[in-house]
Amino acid sequence: MNAYDLRALRNPLIALAIVLAVGAQAIYYLNQLVTSSREELAKQVVQMRDARTRLQKSGEEKQVIVRYLGDYQALQRIGFVGDEQRLNWLEGLRLSNQQAQLFGINYQISAQQPYPYAAELDPGQLTLYQSEMKLGFSLLHEGDLMRFLNALAQQGAGFFSVRECKLDRLGGGTVRFQPNLHAECSLNWITLRAPAVGDGKS
Amino acid sequence: MADSLLISVSATRVSAAPWRGGGFGEYTVFDNDENGLAAFKEYLSRAPRLPVHMVVDAVEEDYRFESLPHSYGRDRREMVNRKLKQHYRNTPYASAHMQGRDSGKRRDDRYLFCALINPDLINSWLQLITEREMPVAGVYLLPTVSAVLLDKLKITQPNLLLVSIHESGMRLTFFRDQKLRISRLARTEGGGHDALKNYAAEISNTRLYLHALRVMTLDEPLSVLIIDRDDSLAELTQLIARDSPNIECRHLGRQEIISTLRIRAQALDSSITAFYLYLLGLRAPANNLAPAGVTLGFRQHQARRAIYALTGVAATAAAIWCTLSLYQLYDIGSDVESAKRSTAELQAKYKAATLQFPSAPTNAENLRRAVEVSQRIGATTRSPELMMDIVSEALENHPAIVIRSFGWRYDRNEIGADTAGAKAAPGAAAAAAADSGRRKQSGSIEGEVRPFRGDYRAAIEAIQSFVGTLSKRPEVAEVKVIKLPLDIDQKLSLSGNTVESREQTGKAEFRLVVVLKPTV
Repeated sequence: MNAYDLRALRNPLIALAIVLAVGAQAIYYLNQLVTSSREELAKQVVQMRDARTRLQKSGEEKQVIVRYLGDYQALQRIGFVGDEQRLNWLEGLRLSNQQAQLFGINYQISAQQPYPYAAELDPGQLTLYQSEMKLGFSLLHEGDLMRFLNALAQQGAGFFSVRECKLDRLGGGTVRFQPNLHAECSLNWITLRAPAVGDGKS
Repeated sequence: MADSLLISVSATRVSAAPWRGGGFGEYTVFDNDENGLAAFKEYLSRAPRLPVHMVVDAVEEDYRFESLPHSYGRDRREMVNRKLKQHYRNTPYASAHMQGRDSGKRRDDRYLFCALINPDLINSWLQLITEREMPVAGVYLLPTVSAVLLDKLKITQPNLLLVSIHESGMRLTFFRDQKLRISRLARTEGGGHDALKNYAAEISNTRLYLHALRVMTLDEPLSVLIIDRDDSLAELTQLIARDSPNIECRHLGRQEIISTLRIRAQALDSSITAFYLYLLGLRAPANNLAPAGVTLGFRQHQARRAIYALTGVAATAAAIWCTLSLYQLYDIGSDVESAKRSTAELQAKYKAATLQFPSAPTNAENLRRAVEVSQRIGATTRSPELMMDIVSEALENHPAIVIRSFGWRYDRNEIGADTAGAKAAPGAAAAAAADSGRRKQSGSIEGEVRPFRGDYRAAIEAIQSFVGTLSKRPEVAEVKVIKLPLDIDQKLSLSGNTVESREQTGKAEFRLVVVLKPTV
């Protein structure tokens, strides 16, 4: 095929090129649309199945609500569910100090952060947080440590987990009603947040 | 044949008829002179630019039947072109058509060479066609278009002489085994019965001529097919039958032509040329005399048509694909809408059902999980109490051990893990590694042996005994001795004195790490 032939065939070749280009583009575009439509359909089908399953289990769900609502509300009251109740914690410290007859407690609470052991608890949509509280206090003897920790747990100020404690014998020694030991403890106050009904996740 | 313009050129007349949809259009005749050329030019200016097929009916024609050595491809083309140049030096309108192979040992290729000797006969007409930019598909000698008639009539006779009467004379075309061998246009004179006699005589002469050319022998039977478009040659058949009993004669009359070929009577009545043009319209012969330069426009025309056809196919395929895709889209869209409706209905029913539920701050699943998580946290929290009990019980049996500092940790990392040189109790390292990902309780004990009067062996034995007591507890995974009163590591230097005294001399300090099992 020479230049003369090409000139003679210019128009049909242009027409062919246009048809091929337009056809390929149209096919590509429509294929993209079909693919995205299929994905949308799959998503809708999943949503429909979820909705059906939820409806079928609505009776069961009601039973669950009836069974767990009271406990949940109790957890809300003690400050485990919802925002941190630091005032309650400090009140609990104060009362525990009195009950354990200690000599006063120094405390330091760090900023809230995600609870690192949440995965072990299978929380689902719930989110767990912790705030570290460092305590420093003096004791008459070793037994006061557990009395203090038990008293703090009994206050109902929230959920905490003792991470670390250290007892050091103080010098000076045997004067009655004077502290013999110094304790440094680290507690983690744990709180939980649940998405409210209507948040879309539920 | 596709739509085209069929043109016949003879010495006296030029005929033209468009071929559309498998049938003849208007048949127009021009004189072969200046006026005819002018009229033809006018005719072409009104005609659509269809491909042109041209037949030439003239005495200036030549047929040669030759055998050439069998060859293929380029060799064959070169050999045939050499033969054409050799035979027809003065005309570009020549062609060679292979008609099979010889039956001899060499199995040579048999060719029919044919040519229009006088190209001037058609040049002026072709020039007008070219000026009009109409593609010339082919130029053929008139007898070559007759082959299609044999197929239509299903003629199987090995030696057939096709006879037709033209304005310029009597056309006799001989077919051997249904393949064209030779044709001649004989001038005949006279009219009426004399003419028929002359025709019969010409047929007899042609038989002798074929014998002389060694195309066939006189002993071989010859079939004669008389094309009689106006039923004027019926008597000729009888004459031949009477004068030449060894000639089988068949008369193809007007009605039979019309019924066999489905040619319009009006066209057939106009001229014998119309009959041949009609045969050309049915099928163009392979013996195309036109050189490549003349048919260039037609090749481009064919290429254009092929590309347009390809374009059409591509457009159709794309349209079908797009239609199917659109249908799929519509179908999927319907399914999506249906799923959405069903979901909305199910959600509405669920919402109605939830109105019966007790008011709750979150959904049932979260309620359940929150309570379970709180229980799990309760189950996973630990206090120093157990570790303190273990150490206290051990101390009861070891009064020489005095604790100065006690630490406890519940974490993945045990207390004092950063301390180098820890010596674990035997067999405990593997278990510790396996549980390294879980939280566990560990305790740190710092103390000394009292009283100590410089007897390091006794002090170390007391510490080791204390370690042994701790290790025996089932809750204990391992006890690591971090520090002893005296480091007897042979890699380190050691100094001191051996003065013995009743008083406390120096300190026998030690440090231990007790690790409980992760399950505790």
